[in-house]
Amino acid sequence: MSDSPSPDAMIFLDEVSKQYSGQDAAAVSELSLEIKRGEFVVLVGPSGCGKTTTLRMINRLVEPTHGRIFIDGKDVTHADVDDLRRGIGYVIQQIGLLPHLTIADNIALVPKMLGMKKSGRRQRAKELLEMVGLDPSTYADRYPRQLSGGQQQRVGVARALAADPPVMLMDEPFGAVDPIAREKLQMEFLRLQERIRKTIVMVTHDIDEALRLGDRIAIFGPGSRLAQFDTPLEILSNPADDFVRDFVGSGAPVRRLSLLKVSDVIAALPPETPGGANAVAIDAGESVHRALELVLGSRAEGIEVSVPGEGSRYLGLQTLLTAAAQPAKVLS
Amino acid sequence: MSLVSYMEDNAGNLLFLAEQHIELVLISVAFSAVIGIGLALLTQSAPGVRQALLSLTGSLLTIPSFALFALMIPVLGLGVAPTVAALTVYGIFPILRNTVTGIEEVDPAVVEAARGLGMGSGQRMRTVVLPLAWPVILNGIRTATIMLVATAAIGAIVRGPGLGQLIFRGLERIGGANALEEALSGVIGVVLVALVLDLLFIVIAKITALRGLNV
Repeated sequence: MSDSPSPDAMIFLDEVSKQYSGQDAAAVSELSLEIKRGEFVVLVGPSGCGKTTTLRMINRLVEPTHGRIFIDGKDVTHADVDDLRRGIGYVIQQIGLLPHLTIADNIALVPKMLGMKKSGRRQRAKELLEMVGLDPSTYADRYPRQLSGGQQQRVGVARALAADPPVMLMDEPFGAVDPIAREKLQMEFLRLQERIRKTIVMVTHDIDEALRLGDRIAIFGPGSRLAQFDTPLEILSNPADDFVRDFVGSGAPVRRLSLLKVSDVIAALPPETPGGANAVAIDAGESVHRALELVLGSRAEGIEVSVPGEGSRYLGLQTLLTAAAQPAKVLS
Repeated sequence: MSLVSYMEDNAGNLLFLAEQHIELVLISVAFSAVIGIGLALLTQSAPGVRQALLSLTGSLLTIPSFALFALMIPVLGLGVAPTVAALTVYGIFPILRNTVTGIEEVDPAVVEAARGLGMGSGQRMRTVVLPLAWPVILNGIRTATIMLVATAAIGAIVRGPGLGQLIFRGLERIGGANALEEALSGVIGVVLVALVLDLLFIVIAKITALRGLNV
């Protein structure tokens, strides 16, 4: 145990280990991980790799056998657990709403434990329902079993956010909802995160979900080895080893397209003269995936992007494809 | 004299004894509930002890009630005390068992979520586990109560209060005037008391039902 967290670290695990008694191998061994303020980090890996144990050590639902945990610069390894947990949002796959309390009372659980007055709690619950896209006048006084799975999960997120904690931990939060609702929830959650900028650590076994949501992704290998901890684009472009390459699976070049923005490509290339009049206009913030979709869909030869201060730039289909195939070149 | 006219003539005494009987059962069940629920909570983190207690209180039920009442005499003498003590012993098992089952049946995800939100163990018990286990616990208390209504009648052999007195007095002098009527009116009284108390529990269950569970 040597390091101390850097100033912009919100969560810092310092060589934490978890050894369950009666088991030969440690569930997690000497793992160090630094997560920055406002960052959305996804822990992903095959089952038994220690990702969930790692998550649960952050709010000490699992007590580490060795190592230290820092939250916002403070060593919380031996702090009061209940106080610690009230300051950290927690969302689980099974949601775990209290079935005998109304939605509003469920959301207000942590504010209540922190001593907030009843009228304030109700007001807070309503704000949060609105934040997660549920109409307070309809849902505040309902009971959990009157809601669909997706609605319950939104309430679970609202409950975790109730005391405005800087950190949120999420254990496969979208795992129990059907695929269509899941994608919608994921996108809504990303939009919510853009507004609230919490430090989020999420566990999933689904690499596509990890790529879609994470600012950075920690890929765990067997034996709780941290195989790679990097941005989605880096993981797709430069997998650290064969394990990561296998885990990410095939089709990496195509999946990468949705992570690469048109503006990235423009920044990396010298201006190009329009090859033909047949170009589609597109916003610089769109993904290369979307750009290719438009070009192919309308049988155009390239895209026309308006760049502030530079006028409009043209990119040919060939350029887009080259960029997609060699993102490292584009990004460097 | 017919049974009906016998009961009419002795209505005052019958009602008095029925009231005694109900009181006796409710007091004993209250003790059983405190002990049964208390033991379940105390052994929360000691499953071995809990299992041993379940076996012990379960096997106490196999002692014939006649014998258990008699066994109380050297310790507690005659009258109310030995009757309540013996009935309390019988009532523990159904309540303990249902409390344990009720607690075990609470959805672990709900408890885990409460823990993750920073709810301490005592508060978790009070606001999550016990309310959700309550319907099962209440059913245990109800079972114990109905069981004790019947057993309480045997308490008359140690001069315990209640309708058992009629049954034993009648049987002692069977063949005498109105002996059979006396014994039978005691039996009918016991059945009616059981019905009344069962109804009481249906009402309690309705009143204490948690909103949100049956929607």
